[in-house]
Amino acid sequence: MEISDEKIQELIKTLKSSADYDFGGYSSKSFKRRILKVLETQSLDIDELIKRVQYDFIFVEEIVKDITVNTTELFRNPKSWHAIKYRILPKLINNKTINIWHAGCSTGQEIYSMLILLNELKMLHKARIYASDINQDVINIAKSGRYVYRFNIEYLENFDKVIRQNPFNFEEYKNVPYAKYLTIDKIEDTITVNDFLKNKVTYIKQNLVKKEPLFKTKFDIIFCRNVLIYFKPELQSQMYGYFYENLKNSGFLVLGYHESILGAQAQKFNRKGLYYTKKLV
Amino acid sequence: MAKKYVIIGGSAGSFQSITEILSELPKNYEQSVFLCLHRLKHVRTGFVEALSIKSKLSISEPVDKEYLRQGQVYLAPANYHMYFELGNLFSLSTETAVNHSRPSIDLSFESAAYLFKDKLTAVLLSGANRDGAYGMKMVNQYGGTTIIQDPEECQVKTMTTAAAAITKIDHILTLKEIINHLKKLQ
Repeated sequence: MEISDEKIQELIKTLKSSADYDFGGYSSKSFKRRILKVLETQSLDIDELIKRVQYDFIFVEEIVKDITVNTTELFRNPKSWHAIKYRILPKLINNKTINIWHAGCSTGQEIYSMLILLNELKMLHKARIYASDINQDVINIAKSGRYVYRFNIEYLENFDKVIRQNPFNFEEYKNVPYAKYLTIDKIEDTITVNDFLKNKVTYIKQNLVKKEPLFKTKFDIIFCRNVLIYFKPELQSQMYGYFYENLKNSGFLVLGYHESILGAQAQKFNRKGLYYTKKLV
Repeated sequence: MAKKYVIIGGSAGSFQSITEILSELPKNYEQSVFLCLHRLKHVRTGFVEALSIKSKLSISEPVDKEYLRQGQVYLAPANYHMYFELGNLFSLSTETAVNHSRPSIDLSFESAAYLFKDKLTAVLLSGANRDGAYGMKMVNQYGGTTIIQDPEECQVKTMTTAAAAITKIDHILTLKEIINHLKKLQ
């Protein structure tokens, strides 16, 4: 199926005016693909879709969930987690509290990766964790902390790389049992995060692009990984400005492995390999 | 001369061919080259380094919204789809795998076809699945040049024959001939 760029623009306009969802800043290639997917699953053509989003707001909520992408995994890109473990967290070790925000938290694997790491470094009691996503369904999965076991074997390999091994010293090996944090049930085909980690997190349903002033506190670390890749450069810039406002001085911004701050906003941050710090003002 | 773009897709049995192509392209090659290669799920790092050993051109995995440059080889990063956007920007995506593949050759080829039109040359090499067939069709539809490695020469010919079955292939070439063709794009 083909849809013209004009029709896509019409849909974006309609979603904005009738449902207050602004996808105008979304990357056009992936947005178009998501819309094609919505049309396919809903058995609609583009004109029917444009009509329906004008009056059926429950339907809008459903398709917004389909438009946004929810890929995540435990300790995704271990090298990024090495940077967090060996470069970021040691700098926060003397803080009384550590405020962390997972922006675009999806189904929660990133949050639990961080909680596990904090616990291993004996910093969990200091952490205040906030997590936000546009999609209430993925927030509910995050709260449940229950994931499919099969096809996710890399969760455990990543756990080994980040929690058990030391990439700078191959002789070091910390034999942390998976069961300390995860309950694996091969018959039910589930991998479930243990309860003591679950109640540490405050979840908020939020459309990031609205840039609302959600928090009274500023953050030591903001995670926003593989979220802004769905945005055009202009909207990315605005989001970096928004994160800047929400970070403490010298606070850390962790992006996806293949993301970097481009354009004018780059001047507001110091690039430190796999993460950024807010420049002092 | 107008800028040209080369996109190469490959899967099982293509690694050797890719290294050979890269070792033959001259240092002053002016086109942008994009590689969309399937790899084992667990081989996520070290691929750029492995390909770089024999390449005269510099190879990198693009970051999201990076401007693409001439004379540079880009490898679709593991576990991401790689798109091309207006303004010659890369765009990455973690959408679900297509044909069990991420990166998906179909998605990269389709997106390149749409953006680069007749300035695009698309090459499909050895592979054990049908990824790339739809992409080649799109390249053909938008006026680009389609090339497959001679199926008789491919270690696994599923991918190239699948493409040939659904679209017009401009050239069916041996690896040597592919290399010569790409060099002549200079």
